[in-house]
Order: sequence, then C-alpha cells, then structure tokens
Amino acid sequence: MEKEFAHAVQVRAQRDGQFVFILDSSLPFQMILKYLEKRLEESNRFFRSAKIIIDLGLRPFRFDEVVTLRDLLKNHWQAHITELRLGHRFDSFFEWASKLIGIPIYQIPVQEKEPEPVIIKQTCRSGTRIEAPQDCVILGDVNPGAEIIAGRDIIVFGVLRGIAHAGAYGNRESKIWALSIEPSQLRIADLVAIPPRQDRSSHTKRYEIAEIRDDQIQVISF
Amino acid sequence: MPGTTIVITSGKGGVGKTTTVANLGTALAMRGRSVVLVDADIGLRNLDVVMGLENRIVYHVVDIIEGRCRIEQAMIRDRKINSLYLIPAAQTRDKDAIRPEDMKKLCDHLIETFDYVLVDCPAGIEQGFRNAIAGAHKALVVTTPEVSAIRDADRVIGLLEANLLKDIQLIINRVNQKMIRRGDMMSTEDICSLLSIPLIGVIPESEEVVISTNRGIPLVHEKKSSIAAAFRRIAGRLEGENIPIPSDNHEGGLLGKVKKLLWNA
Repeated sequence: MEKEFAHAVQVRAQRDGQFVFILDSSLPFQMILKYLEKRLEESNRFFRSAKIIIDLGLRPFRFDEVVTLRDLLKNHWQAHITELRLGHRFDSFFEWASKLIGIPIYQIPVQEKEPEPVIIKQTCRSGTRIEAPQDCVILGDVNPGAEIIAGRDIIVFGVLRGIAHAGAYGNRESKIWALSIEPSQLRIADLVAIPPRQDRSSHTKRYEIAEIRDDQIQVISF
Repeated sequence: MPGTTIVITSGKGGVGKTTTVANLGTALAMRGRSVVLVDADIGLRNLDVVMGLENRIVYHVVDIIEGRCRIEQAMIRDRKINSLYLIPAAQTRDKDAIRPEDMKKLCDHLIETFDYVLVDCPAGIEQGFRNAIAGAHKALVVTTPEVSAIRDADRVIGLLEANLLKDIQLIINRVNQKMIRRGDMMSTEDICSLLSIPLIGVIPESEEVVISTNRGIPLVHEKKSSIAAAFRRIAGRLEGENIPIPSDNHEGGLLGKVKKLLWNA
C-alpha cells in the first residue's frame, strides 16, 4: 500500500516559497485525496497557510476534483491554491469550458520547433553557469564550481567535475553523459546524488552515463 | 619600445602573489631591465614590507591618482638595484578609492619609461581585482597544489578570459616533491590539465621565504637558494629564453645520481 502512495503527489518547493503539488496521472482521485490528507496530517503545521501550485501533469481536468482539493486545503490548512497548471491534457478542460458556454472548443496544435541543443565549444571554468532549454553539449571539461542546467540531456565531451542538472523541468528520462564523471553533484529532475569518493581512475573507461534507475541516479561505465 | 604590464593574481589569498612580484621583479631588474612594482592591494598593502621599503613611503598610488603628487614622487627606488622601483598602495584607504580606468591610465603611462610594470593584485574577484587587471597585457596566475587554491585560480582564469586578457600563464608555488611522491599532493600535470594554461614556473616549498620576508630582502638576492633559482628561471622564460621546467619526481643531488646509476647498471 505504501508503495502505491509514494507517487500519488510529488511535492516540490520553489525558490519563492510556493509549493508545487504534482498529481500522479494514473491513481484514482480518492487515493490522491487520501494521500494528501495523510501527508498534510504528518507534516504537522508545515503546510499551514502555504501557497500551493497544483500541477495536474497528465491527469485530466475535472472541475469537481479541483474544487475538492481547493476546499480541503483551504478548510483544514488555510492554504491557498495560487495556480492550477493543466499540464498535458487540455481536452478535459475544453470539454468543461465548452459545457459552460455551450460552444464546442478545440485547440489547433501549434507546430513548435524543438529548441536546438546549446553547444559550448570550450571548457567551462569555475563560476560558469550554462542554462539550456533542452539538450546541452560541452566540448571540453566542466571544472569544479561550474554549473550546467539543461531541460533534457547533458553531454560533456570531457571530464565532468562540476554540477550538472539534467531534466531540470522534471524530465526523469534525462541523462548525463561524460567521458568521465568525477565526484561532484549530479542532479536529474528532482533527484540529487553525490558519487562516492573512491579511486575511480583505476579501471579504464571510455565513457559514463548517469541516469535514473529504480528511483535513484546511477552511473554506468562503458 | 613600450614595456609590458603584467598582473600577478590568484583569487585565493596567501598563495604567494606578493612574494612572486617581489622576487620576479627583482630577478628581471638584475638582468638589466627597468622594472616598476605597483601594489594594487589598497588597504592591506604588503609589497613594501616584502621589499624592505616600508619606512620610505611618503606618497602612494592613491595620491598619484587623486593628483596630490607626481608619479615620480611616489616611486621608491630599491635599496640594492637601481633599475627597480616600487609604487606602494595606500594603507588607510580601501579598494573603492580607485577605479579600473585610473589604474589603466597609470600603467599605460609607466610602460613608456619602464620595460616591465608588475602589478600585485589583491586576493578576491571584486573591485580590487578589477582595478589590478585593468591595465594589464599579460597575467601570471599563482596557485598552490591545493584544491581550494586551484578552484579559485580556475575562477580567476575564467574572469581574465572574459575580460579579453588571453595571455595567461601559470606559476605553481609551494610544491613539496616528497608529498607528491607519496601521493599526498597533486602533481604538476594534474594541475595543468585542470587549469589548461601554459606553465611558466614551479617554485618549491621552503622556510626561506618567511625568513626573507621578515628581513625585507627578496630571496632572489641569495645565490644559493633553490627558490631564488626558480624565480630567476621564470624571469628568463618571460624574456623568451627556452628553459625547461623540471618535472616532478626528479631526484636531484648526489643520492639521486647514484640511484640512477644503480638502476641502469
């Protein structure tokens, strides 16, 4: 039972103090509600008067579910929903809106060209910060004290010694590639890992990939 | 032909910038060059003490920039070498007292009469650093074989490159060969591969440095010191001489030679 609950709602804290509640896409709403009640109970007063952003993720929009959530948070915790994010499923929202105004609503998908990868053709020295909307390629090393943040994958054609944050917007499929991953901090989506301090130069490796497996960041050497 | 302004910087404090400025400047002057040392560490001046000239300070660099004296009035000649001068920093002001443009103007004026202008940069990356690098054509980054110093040196090199100062060379100071052999200290190769700038010199660790600082006589005056020799070699390399840098694990001395003989036999 515990395992199923674990993913019901993912809670993330933002820099401005607001919380983002990301609702699981497959669990029935009752379970999500139960989990939330339990979580809020266990967290004592932590979420009292909090500002919360609800991210529906892949969940369909259901007017009554949203109202239930809003009331639960307001009545028990004096917490406010400051934003509702529709995520990927707009059709349920359009259905509800079209019922309200009595006109069918459709969205014509806009062909958005995927942003190109950001390519840095030199070593990133300490103090350098690179932000890329999708993929990022570094042709050189990433020195300790440098930070690379990407919406998707990070590829370092050199030694990664600094901080790399792949899938910074939540994409857990993102990976970090490097010819060598030395002890630094690895971040993929919402997970953080520190590689163990051991003599990893002992066996020859051609390249390494860090990815999420079993809910953990793992580094695989090739 | 106008001279060259070289800034000696590091990021981290206490790695040997001032010692390097004093000894390198003296070594260059001993080769017959005209050299002026400028202390840009306003508020925490040290170069005058290391050169043994602290009692002779009447005017300093802020006086020049604020127009209270001529440049010549602030220049203090070295006690032993005629072509070597010092412009000290102010002790009772701080780093906001001058701006980068002021420093650039001063350095550009000095290179009209001197072969070398060596600027002693303060630690850090704020106003003092920005002032010190403003007039420089060349930078020497000093680091010790220590993780924190190397991290700071890397940051500083990045800032220098961002300021379009591309002629940057590395000095590794306080190297302890015994520790390198034991694996307790990073080797020269490790450091160079991380910082990726050309190496211009390696200076061994020694007690002699503190002693010479206390006496106010730069080590380079001592004929027998290995550190003095290292600085003289750096001066030679700056002047274009092709002097190879001794690699790590080189065992000098009689014992070393005997060992080599035994192995080869």
